[in-house]
Amino acid sequence: MKIKELIKQDAGFQYIIDSMEFMSAAGRRKALNTEFSTDAESLRTEWQRLAKAVTATLEYKYKKPYIDLRHCLMCLHDLQGTLASLANHTPLNEVELFEIKNLAMLCRTAKGGIDGLGLSDELPLPCLDAVFALLDPDHTGIANFYIYDSYDIRLTPLRRELNALQTAGGDPLRISELLVQQNEIQDAVCLHLSDQLTQWTDTLVTAMEQMAYTDLLLAKADLALRWNLTQPEVGETIEYKNLINPRLKERNEKARLRYQPVDLSLRSGVCLITGANMAGKTVLLKSVGTAQLMAQCGMFVPAEKAVVKLVDGVATSIGDEQDEMNGLSSYASEIIKISNILTECRQREMLVLIDEPARTTNPTEGKALVQAIVKLLEGLSSFTLITTHYDQLGTTCRRLRVRGFVEDMADVPLTPQNINRFIDYSLTEDQSDNVPHEALRIASILGCDEELIALAQKCVTAL
Amino acid sequence: MTLFFSNFAFSNMPFVNDILKHRSLSIVGLEKNTGKTVCLNYILHRLNELGVSVGVTSIGVDGEQVDAVFATAKPEIVLYEGTRFITSEQHYMKRQVVSVLEHVDSRRTSLGPLVTARVLVPGKVLLSGAATTAALREQMQMLDSMGCNISIVDGALSRLSLASPTVTEAMILATGAAVSANVKQLIAKTRFQYNLICLDEVAPSLRDNLSTIESGIWALDDENQAHDLGIASVFLIDRSEGDILRFGKRLFVAGAVSDRLLKTLSAKGGGITLIARDFTKLFLTPETYNAYVRAGNRLMVLQRSKLIAITLNPTSPQGFLLDSKSTCAALSDALQTPVYDVKKIEQ
Repeated sequence: MKIKELIKQDAGFQYIIDSMEFMSAAGRRKALNTEFSTDAESLRTEWQRLAKAVTATLEYKYKKPYIDLRHCLMCLHDLQGTLASLANHTPLNEVELFEIKNLAMLCRTAKGGIDGLGLSDELPLPCLDAVFALLDPDHTGIANFYIYDSYDIRLTPLRRELNALQTAGGDPLRISELLVQQNEIQDAVCLHLSDQLTQWTDTLVTAMEQMAYTDLLLAKADLALRWNLTQPEVGETIEYKNLINPRLKERNEKARLRYQPVDLSLRSGVCLITGANMAGKTVLLKSVGTAQLMAQCGMFVPAEKAVVKLVDGVATSIGDEQDEMNGLSSYASEIIKISNILTECRQREMLVLIDEPARTTNPTEGKALVQAIVKLLEGLSSFTLITTHYDQLGTTCRRLRVRGFVEDMADVPLTPQNINRFIDYSLTEDQSDNVPHEALRIASILGCDEELIALAQKCVTAL
Repeated sequence: MTLFFSNFAFSNMPFVNDILKHRSLSIVGLEKNTGKTVCLNYILHRLNELGVSVGVTSIGVDGEQVDAVFATAKPEIVLYEGTRFITSEQHYMKRQVVSVLEHVDSRRTSLGPLVTARVLVPGKVLLSGAATTAALREQMQMLDSMGCNISIVDGALSRLSLASPTVTEAMILATGAAVSANVKQLIAKTRFQYNLICLDEVAPSLRDNLSTIESGIWALDDENQAHDLGIASVFLIDRSEGDILRFGKRLFVAGAVSDRLLKTLSAKGGGITLIARDFTKLFLTPETYNAYVRAGNRLMVLQRSKLIAITLNPTSPQGFLLDSKSTCAALSDALQTPVYDVKKIEQ
């Protein structure tokens, strides 16, 4: 699957891609067409290239080779259409030939920049000097282009006569005759040049794609530096030290709210996540999913240390998607999604993230469904994270609890606005089969209707 | 360049020496078929004789051989050796000049990307250009960096935005029989637009203060301090709570000024000064404007456009022909400014 499809499924990943600064449309296209990879070797190579680009960016960010290269990439036009015409033997027009000449020139300049950054092994560019020479018959050395007189000996006398007539306001009939002749010659030259260029089609495509890739690599390196991203290692487990969710962190920083990174370690099988409301369970699932996509798309990840297990895909059921438009109730769309996840997990090794399954139906059947989901996924080789508020599930799977609400965590009075400062988002192993019962307490802190809370409390006690 | 030429008087080239004092010029028409292209050709011809390096572009699409609305023959734009021009790829392919491509823009228009080229052998071209004033400004900066002494923008239809002093330093207004075949009406309509172009400017210190404000309606107090009235759009002015004149009787509107705003202000009595960014932000009918002024109010601008000349095309697209000499004289008399029939000067 490609990034352009993945970002439709994961808003957090979309945010990451939108935060990257590409110099060219081609670089962005290259990013969107990046495949989600399961090949450890190619991912390691890509991460190593990225690590080198990060070092080079850090060293040269405000120096000439880096600035020159970025400027060069800014001038890069996406010539996919033109190159496709060339491959199909469709003759190019003057504007397209200008673009090819410009690409050859940019390629030469970019090469200089890449050498200056010490990245010529990571970012090899082909030599297009022969292409440039073909489109620069007068050896001007600049990227201007027209059908030069030297392409056809008939052009010089023809244009001389045309010039004389146009300047003196000569016979319009003769002028249009000359223009027609000139256009015919120009068309023939364009045809001939296009023909000649065909032999370099592959080289031109490589140059275009490599320059787009250069833009992508520099954008990834820039993001890694801006967000302190880490090069992951490939392992048999999923381990994060100080995992963050860049989108939430940025939002919290803007609102001057605290953001707490989380440590997490996952083995194959099912892990249940419990914890009070507002304790960040859903955010945790989203962060794990986004980090996995980033890693397997060849990017660094938002954590201090990271080990990733390469999976065949990330399957999520996180319930804030709107399915009413499809005519499905929230329960229906959720259960269909989970059913599909199970089918997929029987064939492939997935990272599965399910947020509070069966929460919108009656608790008896809902609990039974969760028990069944856990049991089925336990038997498969996928890595599964399930958040739930159901207790006494009677399962033997691993359980992690978000520490949650800690009354004396901050030394300021507790208000609905600063409640986030009283929550410990870290995870702890939990042996019990119970879940925290803090819904009423949190409702009370949030200043909800007192009568409602008192009545609910009475009902709980009566149980 | 400017200094060199301004020392000479070109008696046979009205207003061309005025043009040379500026880096950019727009030619706008009060209506379609008011002779913008004829005027542009005249200017290009004269600037070429003077050896000035010129860049030309358009806003939107113009320069078609046959007028799209009335199907009358349209004069094409004639470019001389050394002139740089910006047009779309499709129009470039139809050019009758020999020219060198110097730049291709990465953005695409409906007629392909915009290209910039330099003329080697003179001839006719079709001009098209950027669709927005922001993109137009960028293109003009490029012409400037390529070494053009002056960039000229040919207007499209009756668009005025390109004549904003934030886009072009100076402007030429084209009027003619296409506006009205009735000389009295032609004069009235032209005079109204002329008056708006010539509105008084505020003091430079106040202009510096206000020019950074990007949106909204602001009131000025006696110390020239601007206060945001919290009205998002002029269309909401009559719904706003509180007296909009509570800080003082001078108001600044960062965006468009509409008839509705002027009517609201006219109803509040006299002594009000309304400040607009420039004349291209004014969308007013003569009736409302006149009522506003009669009520003892004033309209000013942050920046006034430098109007170099008014040109007249005595022929209307329906084939109606006004008497060139007497109409020019009547218009010139009414506006107290020279009016030229470019075709007559060329002859």
